[in-house]
Amino acid sequence: MNARILVVDDDSALAEMVGIVLGSEGFDATYCADGSEALAAFTAAKPDLVLLDLMLPGIDGIEVCTQIRAVSGVPIIMLTAKGETTDVVAGLEAGADDYMVKPFNPSELVARIRTRLRTPVVAASGSSLRIGDLSIDIEGHEVTRAGKAINLTPLEFNLLTALALNPAQVFTREMLLEQVWGYQYKADTRLVNVHVQRLRSKVEIDPDNPTVVSTVRGIGYRAGAVI
Amino acid sequence: MTIPWTTRVGRGALRLPSRAVHLWRRSLQFRTVVTSMALSGVAIILVGIYMSLSISNDLFNSRLTQVLGESQRASAAAQRIFDSAVTTDRAAVQSVMNAARQSIRDSTSSALVAVYRVPGQSISPLAPQDFASSELTGGVITPSLRSSVQKSNDQQYWQSVQLPAHDALVPGVVVGSLLTIPGVGQYELYIGYDFEQSEQTLRFIQQVLLVAGFGLLVMVGGVAWFVSRIIVSPVRLAADTSEQLAAGNLEVRIPEKGEDVVATLARSFNHMADSMQRQLTELADLSVMQQRFVSDVSHELRTPLTTIKLAADVLYNQRAEFDQTTRRTSELLNAQVLRFEKLLGDLLEISRYDAGSVELESEPTNVAGLVQDVVGTMTTLAEQHGCDLSLSAPGGHFEADIDPRRIRRILTNLIGNAIEHGERKPIEVEVDSNATAVAISVRDHGVGMEPEQLESVFSRFWRADPSRQRTLGGTGLGLAISLEDTRIHQGQLDVWAAPGQGARFRLTIPRDRKVPIGSSPLPLEPRDVKADGGER
Repeated sequence: MNARILVVDDDSALAEMVGIVLGSEGFDATYCADGSEALAAFTAAKPDLVLLDLMLPGIDGIEVCTQIRAVSGVPIIMLTAKGETTDVVAGLEAGADDYMVKPFNPSELVARIRTRLRTPVVAASGSSLRIGDLSIDIEGHEVTRAGKAINLTPLEFNLLTALALNPAQVFTREMLLEQVWGYQYKADTRLVNVHVQRLRSKVEIDPDNPTVVSTVRGIGYRAGAVI
Repeated sequence: MTIPWTTRVGRGALRLPSRAVHLWRRSLQFRTVVTSMALSGVAIILVGIYMSLSISNDLFNSRLTQVLGESQRASAAAQRIFDSAVTTDRAAVQSVMNAARQSIRDSTSSALVAVYRVPGQSISPLAPQDFASSELTGGVITPSLRSSVQKSNDQQYWQSVQLPAHDALVPGVVVGSLLTIPGVGQYELYIGYDFEQSEQTLRFIQQVLLVAGFGLLVMVGGVAWFVSRIIVSPVRLAADTSEQLAAGNLEVRIPEKGEDVVATLARSFNHMADSMQRQLTELADLSVMQQRFVSDVSHELRTPLTTIKLAADVLYNQRAEFDQTTRRTSELLNAQVLRFEKLLGDLLEISRYDAGSVELESEPTNVAGLVQDVVGTMTTLAEQHGCDLSLSAPGGHFEADIDPRRIRRILTNLIGNAIEHGERKPIEVEVDSNATAVAISVRDHGVGMEPEQLESVFSRFWRADPSRQRTLGGTGLGLAISLEDTRIHQGQLDVWAAPGQGARFRLTIPRDRKVPIGSSPLPLEPRDVKADGGER
């Protein structure tokens, strides 16, 4: 069955064009042109991924993003015309997994969508991992602390798994961008920073003194507490 | 312990004039006080000298008048005694002489008396002996005075002399007159008067004048200090306020008091500050408007461009199925959409700089590593254009706090330009660093530029040679953006070029943006050109 993608954009020409591109790549596109109807459209269509324009009539894209994140962890890719620091960071902090600055290439759009829809390939080291006091059930896509499930989005789960699979390794932001986001070239390291913060707010007991995902100053991140 | 103490005093004494010079240059008030004290001092000295001279003159003259009167009276009294006496024998004459002496002593305040017989008269057996008080002997009475007196006729002659008194000489006068003893002959009478009293009075007056003059000088200094303070304080306040204004505190004003020139200064200053504040606020508003405009344009242009780009791409990917005309059309469309996109991106970037809305996103980055990375990325392009791209990095192997995206953009642009204008000749990239800065240079051996072209090389939409084809599709904004990217790093972007010898661009960025660049680690002029010398 084809993956369903909800395109939330008020520009009908662009939405239709994106639909044509997605259709030619084997996705089913549904549309919504108004921010205030986006959540209803989301619940009705049950998409596998959302393409979300930041500037929308009704309520803006960042607010829509927050609403969707409140009910679902479905991947969200923001479409932004600005690329300005504040907009991008606000969108990422609202829970968007990735963003694309207009104008984008169709091939790039498709590649990014495929990365977000793909389940990470897990090494044959087993189906269960430990990181700090958490256990990760890779096949069940579940993270638990002392038997209690922690609700993560697929992206956060991928990020945590990537770190946990190689606990001895210090990951640079660029490595994480490549492994988790699928970027083959230099990209915006704020993606990593913001999502590590979001992940920590869910998995850390005290996010200010992280013990699950720790920062290695000047390099990046690694699993476990600071040595 | 004595020596260090003396040394310290010596040094202090040396330091004092330099401190005064410093004060003189720095303090208008100090200068005013010193100048008025110096000028008043000269005036006081002149007045003092004049007063002292006229007082001493007056004292001398009044004493002289008194002395001459006394001497006149004494001489007359003596003459009367001689005239009425019977001078028949020597003893009588001697006693008359003694009486005259007594009378002289009684009628005058001085005890210094001398009586000499006028020489050249016939010798008289009655003639009494010459006599003189000891103070008047020893050349006090000069021969010239004596000869004047001898020739006189009832006239007094006087002369200023130094009279011995209490082991010292005191100023005084000797008054001489002629006495006639009937039947005996003429005698010279000299009476000495000391002027010690007048001298003491003069000294006292001079002392009083000195003290008063000094007191006056101090008071003039005080008055000058006080008056200059009244004038200088508002000026100083105005200076402080303008300093604060210049530092960006636009709210400060000078209090306006009264109607005088200082109040006028305060009013005009405040007026200026008001007008400045208004204009700055307007400018700030304009800047905000421009930023909003940039943001709006960004959104409004980018959304349709995205649709066009997607459409062009779909067509381009299917071009194999088209006939030749449509295929070429779709290729042109695709290429120009890319160019349009790049131009729009550059325009928006330069507008962001113009609006001042660019912020540096710096992070510790290994400069040499970054350069190596960019050179690696550009190698394929360079090879396609037949250029050999080489890197030499003796320095720069450390983490500098830079915005890697912007430095990468500068470098990509510089190397791109070098490839475009390098005429298939080698391109050399160098990285070096020193204590304050790290520098990256890109050198090509292409057509180079004329000196007048160098001036406009960073101008927007400027083309070195309008007839040249833009093989790499530059937008004409590349170097302008590079310059802005450099400036936001507090760095420098310089260019050297010579016709036929190629060009060299040098980027210098400080290691720490708070510490200014001392000198660039790399020379601007290529070493090989320097060696050739006169060819430039």
